Amino acid sequence: MQITHERIGEGIIVHIRDELGHHEARKAIDYLENIVILYPVESVMLDLSGLTFMDSSGLAVAMNLHRALLRTGRKLVIIGTPPQAMRVFSAAGLPRLMTFIDGKGDKLC
Amino acid sequence: MLNVINKMSIKLESRSINEGFARQTVAAFVAQLDPTVEELNDIKTIVSEAVTNAIVHGYRDRLGYITVAVRLLENRVAEIKVKDSGCGIPDIAQARQPLFTTGDEERSGMGFTIMESFTDRIHVRSAVGKGTLVTLVKAIHGKRTEDKL
Repeated sequence: MQITHERIGEGIIVHIRDELGHHEARKAIDYLENIVILYPVESVMLDLSGLTFMDSSGLAVAMNLHRALLRTGRKLVIIGTPPQAMRVFSAAGLPRLMTFIDGKGDKLC
Repeated sequence: MLNVINKMSIKLESRSINEGFARQTVAAFVAQLDPTVEELNDIKTIVSEAVTNAIVHGYRDRLGYITVAVRLLENRVAEIKVKDSGCGIPDIAQARQPLFTTGDEERSGMGFTIMESFTDRIHVRSAVGKGTLVTLVKAIHGKRTEDKL
């Protein structure tokens, strides 16, 4: 898994690429916790367009970020979710809690 | 009772780095049934969930072995068994409830929900102190136009 972030306009986009399973989840959670602290007022988007695999550990990563952003009055937006990962999100009912947008982050800002 | 067309098994140490190997290996084997990309992704996902459960909940803080056995059955059915000799599940019905987890924040408690959603049949057998066997059955409807097996 590769995880990076960039500032685009007024927001931060975090890109997660390759595979996101239990083996990679700890690193992703820690990285995203730091993002929430480092950028306390910016909007935060999660760009999953580079993911090749995700299981329910990815749900935990998204739910942790969702809760951390809610504590500071922000909402999580997830962009570019591939079909396999979207099936996992949908099976868990997460589209009711978070906003999912097609496309890549660099085209949104 | 469906006839077995082909079978394989692998035995792994309960290290999280082996999760990717397990799902890729099973997917490569099931590819003989000519699944669609979506079906193959479902196979990877359910194997990942079952193996992760064995590592996180079965063995917790110790190392053990996980056996992943796959049988390809007639009528294009894949049967996957994931077995550990870990601590076992005291209450299977509770463990299968959405959002229930004994793991930390890296776990969503949705592993069984995902397995149930992506398979045709799931069966869990467990004995406290002895281990857990998860059996996952999925019919492949796929893209095949001619019989290969």
